[in-house]
Amino acid sequence: MNPYLAGFLLGVTLLAAFFFTGRGLGASGAVKSVIVTAVDVVAPEHTSDSEFYQKYVSKKESPLRAWLVFEVLGVLIGGLLSGSLSGRLKFKIEHSPKISSRTRLIAAVIGGVLFGLGSQLGRGCTSGAALSGMAVLSSAGFVSMLAIFGTGYAFAYLARKLWI
Amino acid sequence: MNIRYLLLSIVALSLGIVLIFLPEKKYTRELTPEKLMLAINDNSRFMSTDYVAHMIIESNPSLVLIDVRDSTSFSQFSLPGATNIPLDSLLNSEWEGFLDQDYVKKVFYSNGSVYAAQAWTLTRRLGYENVYVLKGGINSWVETILRPLEPASTASSEEFDLYHTRIATSQFFGGGNAAVVSTDSKPAKKIIKKKSKSALQGGC
Amino acid sequence: MGPLITQGLIGENWNFVIAFIIGISFGFILEQAGFSSSRKLAGVFYGYDFVVLRVFFTAAITAMIGMLFFHYFGWMDLDLVWVNPTYLRSAIIGGVIMGLGFIIGGFCPGTSVCALSIGKIDALFFVGGIFLGVFLFAEAYSLLDELYMADAFGPMKVYESLGISRGIFAFALIAMAIGAFFITARIEKNASKVDY
Repeated sequence: MNPYLAGFLLGVTLLAAFFFTGRGLGASGAVKSVIVTAVDVVAPEHTSDSEFYQKYVSKKESPLRAWLVFEVLGVLIGGLLSGSLSGRLKFKIEHSPKISSRTRLIAAVIGGVLFGLGSQLGRGCTSGAALSGMAVLSSAGFVSMLAIFGTGYAFAYLARKLWI
Repeated sequence: MNIRYLLLSIVALSLGIVLIFLPEKKYTRELTPEKLMLAINDNSRFMSTDYVAHMIIESNPSLVLIDVRDSTSFSQFSLPGATNIPLDSLLNSEWEGFLDQDYVKKVFYSNGSVYAAQAWTLTRRLGYENVYVLKGGINSWVETILRPLEPASTASSEEFDLYHTRIATSQFFGGGNAAVVSTDSKPAKKIIKKKSKSALQGGC
Repeated sequence: MGPLITQGLIGENWNFVIAFIIGISFGFILEQAGFSSSRKLAGVFYGYDFVVLRVFFTAAITAMIGMLFFHYFGWMDLDLVWVNPTYLRSAIIGGVIMGLGFIIGGFCPGTSVCALSIGKIDALFFVGGIFLGVFLFAEAYSLLDELYMADAFGPMKVYESLGISRGIFAFALIAMAIGAFFITARIEKNASKVDY
């Protein structure tokens, strides 16, 4: 799909999210909800004396956090739909021919861990903080966007073996 | 391809130019008469003098007293830490940021409760949150805090406990003299009005 | 007037249905744009594919313009919309960490879920990493909480921080984005072809 058209449609989706629910998109928050719920179920004593878990375990917060879980589930379905319609459904480890699958998988995990940490610290990821933030013109949104992409560019040369 | 993108760019830039001149509107969250009626019938807007006294003694910053009488009355006597916003200047824009925020509880008081109740109704109608009325006003303050009335000997033990608490409280406030001039009225805390005041949570 | 659920014009219970539908739209569009491929995504950092920039900025600008006009026409109240608060230090440091994650992993959380949905195993590992990272943060929170709460500015708007009017910023953003689109098209044409 033409990237500008995709961007426009994504923008409309984002607008709809704000128009209906007053909030934008997100992804990392869903992971946080799952972790908090899981830890609470497995080890409730641990959540009760942790400042972090306490913030999100309280009844007041839980329905709001579940919003993102439902949204991410939607993303899964949406991606699946699109992939099947376009014939892109296939199990594979996508990697540059210059590295091995193993390297790619290790890099993927490291990237994920960094994103998990960073998104919590930054109060959002590219969709939640940067994209939605920019749409409402929040300073945090632009700061996040610049920090994420700026750092990506700064380290691109070092990581080039992974991609080109 | 290129012409299309050029046209789209022009459209986008034109929208941008329109945006430069688009005025910023404000939609006040005024209460409908029905909602206001509900709020009026709900007695939770009253705060007792005991509770307010307790908050002052604790130096609890979450509560702010607002004296809605005129400035002369205010300078003769006022409750500790109170800010004077005379009723007729309640709606002035300089107070909007102070009144229209959720962070502290604002308690209106006057000699009785008529003016305070009017202030409450006005601000509530405007959709301001966390506004309250000091039950009984200064008159009640004098009776319960400064010069608490001793309960009859047949009164319950709770009433006696309350009386003893009030005696202790009155000592804190220099009680015994009704005309104690409060010299420690702090200047109005200029609380910066935050744009997103709803309880809506969001983020990633 | 919107936001509909915040204003009580649609029941709260619709919130999750709407979240789900919005998610489907999000995922579908992302995948159609090709964001389910880490090598395509990484292209923005190496100049061979700027799709990330195009989609990202077009989306942000579309939503921004939409919301500003909706507010003007009285279709929604922007003051009731969630504006993410600025905690400057953690936003920057978190952003740097995420940038590293992006260039190493080739995904961001949203795109990784999208790629996972079409069967990318590397996306699966990335998502696993996210869970691990979030868990690590939760456990290490007591060490990080001072950093997390530092430099709190509240829901500050970018044009306020820059001291310019909202409209001028909006125009400048649109102009910059369009400029970037044209420039990157040139860069892409001259970049070495990458087969993915």
